[in-house]
Amino acid sequence: MLKIKNLQASINKKLILKGLNLNIKEGELHAIMGPNGSGKSTLANVLSGKSGYEISGELKFQGENLKEISVEERARKGIFLAFQYPLEIPGVNTNNFLKTSLNSVRKAKGEKELDALAFLKLVKEKSSELGIDEKILSRQLNVGFSGGEKKKNEILQMKILNPNFSILDETDSGLDIDALKIIAQGVNTSRDKKKSFLVITHYQRLLDYIKPDFVHVLSEGRIVKTGCSELAQELEKTGYQKLN
Amino acid sequence: MQNLDINSKQIDNIKKITSEEKNFRIKNLELFKTAGFPNKRLEDWKFSDFSNIISNNFNKLDAKSVSSNVNKINFLKDFEHNYIILVNGNLHSSNFDYEKINKIKILPYDKNTNYRISKNPMICLNHALAENGYSLEIDENYKFKKVLVIYNFFTPDVNNKILNNKNKIKIGKNSELHVIEYTENQSKFKFINNSYEDIILEKNSKLRNLYIQGRKSNGFFHKYIKSKLFYNSNYLNFIFSSGLKFNKLDIDCDLEEEKCTCNILSALFLNKNEHQEIKTSVNHLAPNCKSYQKIKNVLSSDSKGIFQGKVYVKANAQKTDAYQLSKAILLNDNAEFNSKPELEIYADDVKCTHGSASGSLDENSLHYLMTRGLNREDSTKLLTKGFLNDIVEFIKSPSIKEFVKNKLEDQLNGH
Repeated sequence: MLKIKNLQASINKKLILKGLNLNIKEGELHAIMGPNGSGKSTLANVLSGKSGYEISGELKFQGENLKEISVEERARKGIFLAFQYPLEIPGVNTNNFLKTSLNSVRKAKGEKELDALAFLKLVKEKSSELGIDEKILSRQLNVGFSGGEKKKNEILQMKILNPNFSILDETDSGLDIDALKIIAQGVNTSRDKKKSFLVITHYQRLLDYIKPDFVHVLSEGRIVKTGCSELAQELEKTGYQKLN
Repeated sequence: MQNLDINSKQIDNIKKITSEEKNFRIKNLELFKTAGFPNKRLEDWKFSDFSNIISNNFNKLDAKSVSSNVNKINFLKDFEHNYIILVNGNLHSSNFDYEKINKIKILPYDKNTNYRISKNPMICLNHALAENGYSLEIDENYKFKKVLVIYNFFTPDVNNKILNNKNKIKIGKNSELHVIEYTENQSKFKFINNSYEDIILEKNSKLRNLYIQGRKSNGFFHKYIKSKLFYNSNYLNFIFSSGLKFNKLDIDCDLEEEKCTCNILSALFLNKNEHQEIKTSVNHLAPNCKSYQKIKNVLSSDSKGIFQGKVYVKANAQKTDAYQLSKAILLNDNAEFNSKPELEIYADDVKCTHGSASGSLDENSLHYLMTRGLNREDSTKLLTKGFLNDIVEFIKSPSIKEFVKNKLEDQLNGH
């Protein structure tokens, strides 16, 4: 699904990712852990196609060179990024936005666009699965949402857009245990043989609820250690320092 | 301009004129002739060099009124309303079927004296030559049941004209009126509309005024509004007049007595070659009054937007609460926005806030929307709409809000 080879990324002439290798196959869930400033969010941004980065190395998604694909095209091809800090978009109704978003993705896939009724039905179903109060969907996108609501809204978008590769950028940070469980449940119910995930997190806590196939440790722009889910527990005990 | 046909013969031709009025007109015509069309050397016109704009767009101009009639008006169907129809500035007809007709007085504007000498040459020109317009007076204790739409209609044959008209709205004690001034221009030619408006709000009265255009137009508009607010009256202006080649709206509002409120809210989307200026002067002349101004502009292509906003607080106007904010988004390097906020405060126990910011769209917000499959153009449109909708949300009536939203959508789509 995703193949990253010797990825280097710099922003404002500062090198952040210094030769990162990662291979994610269909159906796999990978977790990336690492201390602050190790390049976790840069990796998420680069995968989403954010401008401002200078990139070298190989970046392939389903065999295609990602570097040549625009941000919106990536979304339409099934890449989804749940933001660490979802942006507040004043004046834009959440429901209208979700519908526009879903239909642009469906259109690109050659699927029929959903009408208002079918869309509402879908939203109702997905939001009740996640225990999201539908009322927030008639509000402006993320405006005045609590930290937890914003993160849940990201997962709701993931559920609705139904991507085949989802990146969760520290979706667990700042969440209470109930919200964490909801997020985890959102991911777990989406997992299947075709879908892959990249979960970026600081803490092992989320991985108590989402069982990763692989855990990587990112440090100073490189993956320094890879293991199975036990690695996360080990890190929780020993910290990142020991790895260096 | 060689072919500028503005002279005193026009004043001689006015029928039933007192010598007092005639003198007033001639004096103002002389003032205009001396000053000429306002240019950037006048502080109030420093960002809108009207003289230059006129010489770039007109080879000839005359000020004779156009009396052409209109066969068909496309009435708005979005909500039930009363209406006044102005054709090229002339009062054509009116309809107040939803109201108690004996509470309303509508007449062609006639009296044209007793104005102070203005430093604005466009006002002098108006005082000299305006013959048309309307005067609307609402009796005491009467609240309008439906909104009043003033159709400001221009016929296809208006060409190389400068049309001067004068209007007046007076709301009696405890009365309330909502107006939508809807400009529908059928002329494909260039012309200038120069209007002067008096607004008087008596004790406890309320006026909401919303400016909007039917569609894009080649008209050049200048409008000066002098409003006087008396005890506990409430005046609200919504300005959505995008799509005009040139528009300068000059609102000069006097809060004469205590507890008055003046709100000026605007959301404008300016596109190719469009030039729009909002100039306000909110004068707190009595204690305990409130004013709130929020002006939002989105500028595309090579458009130009201007906000000159002044808040004046007289020494005795204690406990004044004045707020002013201008925000602009420039979508293009060729677009230009000028903002000149001004505070002049002589009282010492007041709350006055002002701010002005302009910049491009937030790249992070654009990126967020694009990661959800929207292309850059649609994301830009969505953010722009969101930015402007903030003002639309102030509209209370759902049907009018919807109507304005649709118009805004049309403007964003280039209609």
